[in-house]
Amino acid sequence: MAQRNSWLRGTTIRKSGPSTSASTRTSTPQLPSTSMSIFAGGVKDPSGRTVEYIDMNEKCPVCDSDAYLKPGLRLLVSSCYHKLCNGCVEVLYATGSEVCPTKGCNVINRRLSYTPQTFEDLTVEKEVAIRRRLAKEFNKRREDFPDLRSYNDYLEEVEEIAFNLINDIDVAETEARIARYHQENAELIELNKKREQEYQRYLQEQEEMERQERELRAQELRRIETEEREEREKGRQAIIDKLETSDKDAARLVAKSRMETQRRASARAASSSSASFNQSNARLLRTRATQSAVVPDVPHVPLQDNYYAYDDMFQMRETYHDPVSEAVRRDREGIMRAGGYRVDQAWERALRFAVAGLDTAPLSGMPAPPPEPMAVDSEGPADAVMVSA
Amino acid sequence: MDAVERANLERQRRWTKDQKIGEGTYAVVYRGRELATGRKVAIKKIKVGQFKDGLDMSAIREVKFLRELKHQNVIELLDVFSSKKNLNLVLEFLDTDLELVIKDRSLVFLPADIKSWMAMTFRGLEFCHRNFILHRDLKPNNLLIASDGQLKIADFGLARDFADPGYKMTCQVITRWYRPAELLWGCRYYSTAVDIWSVGCIFAELMLRTPYLPGETDMDQLKTIFRALGTPTEEDWPGHTKLPDYVPVGQFPKTPLRDLFTAASADCLNLLSKCLIYDPKRRISAKDALNHPYFFALPYPSHPSKLPKPAKKESGIPLEEVDGNTDMSGPGPGVKANPPNKLKRKNSDDLGGRPVARRLDFTK
Repeated sequence: MAQRNSWLRGTTIRKSGPSTSASTRTSTPQLPSTSMSIFAGGVKDPSGRTVEYIDMNEKCPVCDSDAYLKPGLRLLVSSCYHKLCNGCVEVLYATGSEVCPTKGCNVINRRLSYTPQTFEDLTVEKEVAIRRRLAKEFNKRREDFPDLRSYNDYLEEVEEIAFNLINDIDVAETEARIARYHQENAELIELNKKREQEYQRYLQEQEEMERQERELRAQELRRIETEEREEREKGRQAIIDKLETSDKDAARLVAKSRMETQRRASARAASSSSASFNQSNARLLRTRATQSAVVPDVPHVPLQDNYYAYDDMFQMRETYHDPVSEAVRRDREGIMRAGGYRVDQAWERALRFAVAGLDTAPLSGMPAPPPEPMAVDSEGPADAVMVSA
Repeated sequence: MDAVERANLERQRRWTKDQKIGEGTYAVVYRGRELATGRKVAIKKIKVGQFKDGLDMSAIREVKFLRELKHQNVIELLDVFSSKKNLNLVLEFLDTDLELVIKDRSLVFLPADIKSWMAMTFRGLEFCHRNFILHRDLKPNNLLIASDGQLKIADFGLARDFADPGYKMTCQVITRWYRPAELLWGCRYYSTAVDIWSVGCIFAELMLRTPYLPGETDMDQLKTIFRALGTPTEEDWPGHTKLPDYVPVGQFPKTPLRDLFTAASADCLNLLSKCLIYDPKRRISAKDALNHPYFFALPYPSHPSKLPKPAKKESGIPLEEVDGNTDMSGPGPGVKANPPNKLKRKNSDDLGGRPVARRLDFTK
């Protein structure tokens, strides 16, 4: 029962930052700690803070004291996920490393391997720590895989490793697997780390830009408001002056000045709408950033159609015996050279046209085919068109 | 009714014309649908009747090449049929073009977007070159963009196949801002490299969001090029002084690309500089460009579906492709295929007195 309801009594303490200062722990009665060590670590939330889990009823398994008797008591968790109070840690590990005092556990710990507890359930604590560790190494993305299948296989493998480590199945073998993976993918891991950082930076920049824009807009609004107020003042003054000096109908004067104000207000509205144009850029860029998570960009593939230029059916030579292009190649006046005309492109074209239809099956069911107009040389298709020099 | 007429009628029945979406000098464009599937198409009706000398050259070129080319990054000609005295081309319907995208100031380009567009342009161009076709009018508003973001090369009105050795080609091709120095100097024997120069200019334009080399006349174009990239020396470009219309235009020092493209990566500038090499023989080929490290480096090219596009209401295909877009101002001695006068380029800045295609307005 006490176990089930302990979350009700469990107090969580929010620390001011990564530096663990005891003075912020105002919610629990406590004596100033005599210990010299600061127990850092634990699981941080996204803002970088550690939320420590403290159960007032829990007792230290070694000295059997609880927070009620010893107000400064904190239960710390070792790397083998066994609890011990801070007092006992100080005493037990005063000389350096020591075996874990829990019965049956032979893990050797040092003082630094004790960290504050974050979750009530220690298996969760362990799982989070393991997954954090794995996420650092196994950071491949969908883009790093040729197809969805292999990506899913990879995710499956990561999950299996995590499961093994959490439940202590074949730990040695799993560790070896991680080491092997790390060795094989060191480069990619680094690259992905950088990518992640870049993306973070990019998002930060976006946020910064938007914040500035918001500020600008607020300033603009304030300016407009003061202007408006001044104008109203002025208008009222003007009406009074006019009423004083002119002999026209009072109601008409008031109506006229009202119309004027309205006209000015609508002009203002028109001008401010154009100012809102800039703000859309930041939003646009941001939507683009989130979009890229939905439709991933794929690496460049130079040619996307089924490129086939009959390359296997002929081989270009340096030069051919081609009287027609003789003059062009010699180019006495030098007018061809600078223009970039290439005779070899004409040759390639002729060759490709010649070989393109070679393996097309003749039409069947037709009346006797006319004799081949062009005899294909036995030497090969290439020579059908041009005799090599 | 003879067999040909019957076949033609059958083809015509497969498509419906919905509404007129634009008109150029020699063609009217309609939005239409394929009756069987409901797929959107653009039907380009070429006005035949009003020209004495028969069909327009660019229409013939367009049919000739598009009939043969089928590629993800080349506009698809779905069908051709005649109605009364007109020729009708049924083309893929495309939402917008790269020029509108570049001009839309509310769009933000990521480096990955530019990479993606460039890769698609090079893929389409490589396909044309692989099939021995020179496009000869590459510019942002001839690069149309489909609804799924795929970029498609359009307007084959100035295209031609590779010339046989010794045959002259006209040098009055390619919109001036995208025309390489060899054509400006009247070169009649050129190759695929002319298209690569245009792509280089488009590449730069994507980064700058404004035309990179906007010359006002052909002469000024050469000056603009040299001011940006330095006057070529004999070593840079062997033999260029022998080109037919060669005139020295003054010495300009070479300024590093880095000075203008401050935010570009090293790979990116390397590819750009290789597209803008003066010597056409050393200029990179489309296939080599596709294998350039720039495309493999991070960030990966954006997925086409994520590329920025102008807002829906502004989207209208400016089917600029309905009129030829070459500047025919230079006389060009002995031009073999001299396109008729109506092909004259309409450029917003040189409208003076020439027949000008109306700016197409598709916003209905």
